[in-house]
Amino acid sequence: MHLKRPLRVPSFAACLILAPLCAALTAAAQSAPDIVFKNATVMTASHGTIQHGSVWVHEGKIAGVGATIDAPSSATTVDATGLWLTPGIIDPHSHSALDSDVNEATSPVTPSMHMIDAFDNRSADLYRALAGGVTTELLLHGSANMIGGQAVVIKNKFGFDRDAMLFPNAPGSIKFASGENPKRVYGSRDQLPSTRMGNFEVMRMAFEDARHYMADWDAYDAKVKKGDKDATAPKRDLKLEALADVLRGKLFVQIHCYRADEFLTEEAIAHEYGYKIRAFHHALEMYKVADKIAADQTAIATFSDWWGFKDEARDAIPWNAVMSMRKGVKVALKSDSDDHIRRLNSEAGKMVRYGGATEDEAIRMVTLNPAWIIGVDDRTGSIDVGKDADLVLWNHDPLSTYARAQKVYIDGDLFFDASLPGLGTTHFNGVMHDSRGFGSDDEEDGQ
Amino acid sequence: MRFLLSLLERPPSLRAAFLSGAGRLLTGEVEGSAVDFRHANSRPWAPQVSKLRPAIAWTLTIALTCLFASSSVQIAAQPESASPQVVAITGGKLLTVSHGTIENGTIILADGKISAVGTAAEVKIPPGAQIVDAKGLTVYPGLIDPESNFGLTEISADQMTNDLEERSDEIMPHMHVYDAFHSETELIAVARLNGITNAVVAPSTGDSIAGQDIFIQLYGRDRDDMIMGRDIALAMNYGAEQRRRDGGRGAGGGSSYPSTRMGLITQLRQSFLDAQDYMTRRDAAAAKKDDKSDKGEKSGDKGDKSPSKRDLKLEALIPYLKGERPVVIGVYEGYDVEVIMGLAQEFHLKVILNHVTAAQDVLDKIASYHVPVIIGSIYDAPRAGERFDAVYSLPAELAKRGAKIAISSADAGGPVSSHSSRNLPYAAGFAVAYGLPYYEGLKAITQDVADMFGFGDKLGSLDVGKMANVVLADGDPLDVRTDVKQVYIQGVAIPMVSRQTRLRDEYSK
Repeated sequence: MHLKRPLRVPSFAACLILAPLCAALTAAAQSAPDIVFKNATVMTASHGTIQHGSVWVHEGKIAGVGATIDAPSSATTVDATGLWLTPGIIDPHSHSALDSDVNEATSPVTPSMHMIDAFDNRSADLYRALAGGVTTELLLHGSANMIGGQAVVIKNKFGFDRDAMLFPNAPGSIKFASGENPKRVYGSRDQLPSTRMGNFEVMRMAFEDARHYMADWDAYDAKVKKGDKDATAPKRDLKLEALADVLRGKLFVQIHCYRADEFLTEEAIAHEYGYKIRAFHHALEMYKVADKIAADQTAIATFSDWWGFKDEARDAIPWNAVMSMRKGVKVALKSDSDDHIRRLNSEAGKMVRYGGATEDEAIRMVTLNPAWIIGVDDRTGSIDVGKDADLVLWNHDPLSTYARAQKVYIDGDLFFDASLPGLGTTHFNGVMHDSRGFGSDDEEDGQ
Repeated sequence: MRFLLSLLERPPSLRAAFLSGAGRLLTGEVEGSAVDFRHANSRPWAPQVSKLRPAIAWTLTIALTCLFASSSVQIAAQPESASPQVVAITGGKLLTVSHGTIENGTIILADGKISAVGTAAEVKIPPGAQIVDAKGLTVYPGLIDPESNFGLTEISADQMTNDLEERSDEIMPHMHVYDAFHSETELIAVARLNGITNAVVAPSTGDSIAGQDIFIQLYGRDRDDMIMGRDIALAMNYGAEQRRRDGGRGAGGGSSYPSTRMGLITQLRQSFLDAQDYMTRRDAAAAKKDDKSDKGEKSGDKGDKSPSKRDLKLEALIPYLKGERPVVIGVYEGYDVEVIMGLAQEFHLKVILNHVTAAQDVLDKIASYHVPVIIGSIYDAPRAGERFDAVYSLPAELAKRGAKIAISSADAGGPVSSHSSRNLPYAAGFAVAYGLPYYEGLKAITQDVADMFGFGDKLGSLDVGKMANVVLADGDPLDVRTDVKQVYIQGVAIPMVSRQTRLRDEYSK
């Protein structure tokens, strides 16, 4: 509201009336009103399911959850009778909204690429994922390169500008790959790597360079610390700087990897160079070596039942997720697909059948566990007091084929409401961008 | 593949034993007299072979370490004969598809067919029948995938395992899927474990006319056992994908004719005209020949314009020009549907529309054609700006308009991938979630598919006289959480194993 001239307040009494009113209006603008969901089947993901449960949302956070809660009477009540409430779905492996700028497939080592530079916040992929209940995504570089680029973590606040969609202060992640894709992409051009031997040696060589670079900087920093005014800083190299961040443990390492032998090699290299692997992605043969990988506390982000699309997916079995989980590996399901991202909830439902995951375990595979892989599990991924109010209201058991997201909230704000006419979006109006292609690793690497 | 290879290195008798299935493999051994699947959920992969006769146990150990999907699956005695014995499945909830649901129903499988179906009170169990207790289970007809590429691919990215399409020309009606169908493919074993018992196998979708389909059952000793119908339909496609342009699919690198939709349609029209002409001349020649032989004259007079040489390509189109068999037309956009239907009507083709996932603007028109429609993939993305469920609701919208629909397993984002054919029931379930009545959803992957391809009297429902393709599951077949416990194909309890279950079992030890 623009006023051409200051309001002239006629009397002191008016001031007394207006001042608290203005204060109240300001407060209302800063935070949405409280919400209370009542009588829902609340699947918390952290502490089981509460029948006829309530959840209280205050200032964008979860302020209460339980059979009964003490919410203020002023809160907006959502009658969730006959509905299910879950944490927002989290996809730890997406290439959505990148306008096919997924792979900088011009060198097998490109750690200074940042996916945020390609992020298209008006992509229709985001809208469709939102309608499927997805509230957080890790947008990853593709798998053409042994060491790819750095990921961006978004909250799916479709309709907001780019920066407002970024997950605030989310840890950084970097994408590595292995196996068929790098060797095919570079091998087909008669470049290194064209074999798995080449693949891994490319990595080792890169880390040797990074160690050298890091040592130069450490030496310089030491000199500066001693007060040496003649010390000259080494030249900054964006690529080596990013690799040094890996070695310093500043980036979560997310590795595209299918075969059992390659998990072992990747872990060995990680031990050799002193970094930790946060998660193996795809990880279709994890069931073969899950006990060993569990010891390294590396998680997996895997497909529910994909197989046979390439040679390294030959031994994929739909029991992989549950078998690996039973051996101590933290398991998430992911989409790697602009299609499957729309129904990760029923992908989780398949795990009830393939190996007998409990409801709690299954829902965790698409909420709390992917949140851990991204490093935001202290903020989202379950319905617990203090966490972001990222919530989905479903018309049916979310682990069934039949569930449709009715309402999707992010930070307590409603972003999708299926009962609305048109798109069902509450913050988006304007032109959506179409996406071409499948949004998948294996589709985007120049195959 | 290692497992399969090692299996194939075994003596032929063992291979036959494997291929002929668990039911027959276990001949002569009994533990109990009834099959009980109810407790199979506890540890579905724990094998229990200890009570088997040593020779049988050896067979199992060597060839298929963990043959059985269930610790408590107990197949009763069967005579050492090739024909499956009489099986009585009792106590289950029968989803008949044709006449509603029967609680506590009984269904009798005899000589590969359904010989009785009804309530427990209605159906008498023949003496000596093997009784399968299906209490707590759902019993439904085998599912039928209306578009697959079973046996035409193994590992998608490995070109040497792909026989999906002959891309050297756009008009290839003389390509016969049965010439490439590899019946031992692992994709079939994987799909049938989830109750897919039959399928149409079609070539891939890059050619305007890609070839002729087969209809299969997903179990049998060899190719000929599994193919139920050859050249059952012509696989036709129309739209952007078939254009031969830079970056598009098709032969070679650069653009070549037909590089536009104008070219595609003209080429198709010319092909059907050529075939019509060929048919007319051939029929005329045949008539003349008959005429001459009636009169005792020699054939081969001057002026006889009969095609002296058979043209296999044109000949292949004749049954379709005569309307004897359906033409499955794969098309996505509404405006493409209108163009290709114009051509189909011009040549009086018997059409089955396929895909139509971007044709929301012409649904009334599609219904007005009164042709069956295969919808797939239901997971195709809507256009930017369209509501998120524009494709999910397509089956419901078409059914509402009176169109006969089938739902295919096709995955989104590319040509058919039958690796995920096992997920066919979930595609139907999704259609139900978005407004299709439940029974319509079930019909769209059973009876309606069978009807479209001329197998409606043999398959698609639990009715007397139909083939005994029957599935037992522990819940709603369209729900992802439901576990399939046993699949019968032609009355044979098929081994509930695949390479995937063997890997699972090997690494579960």
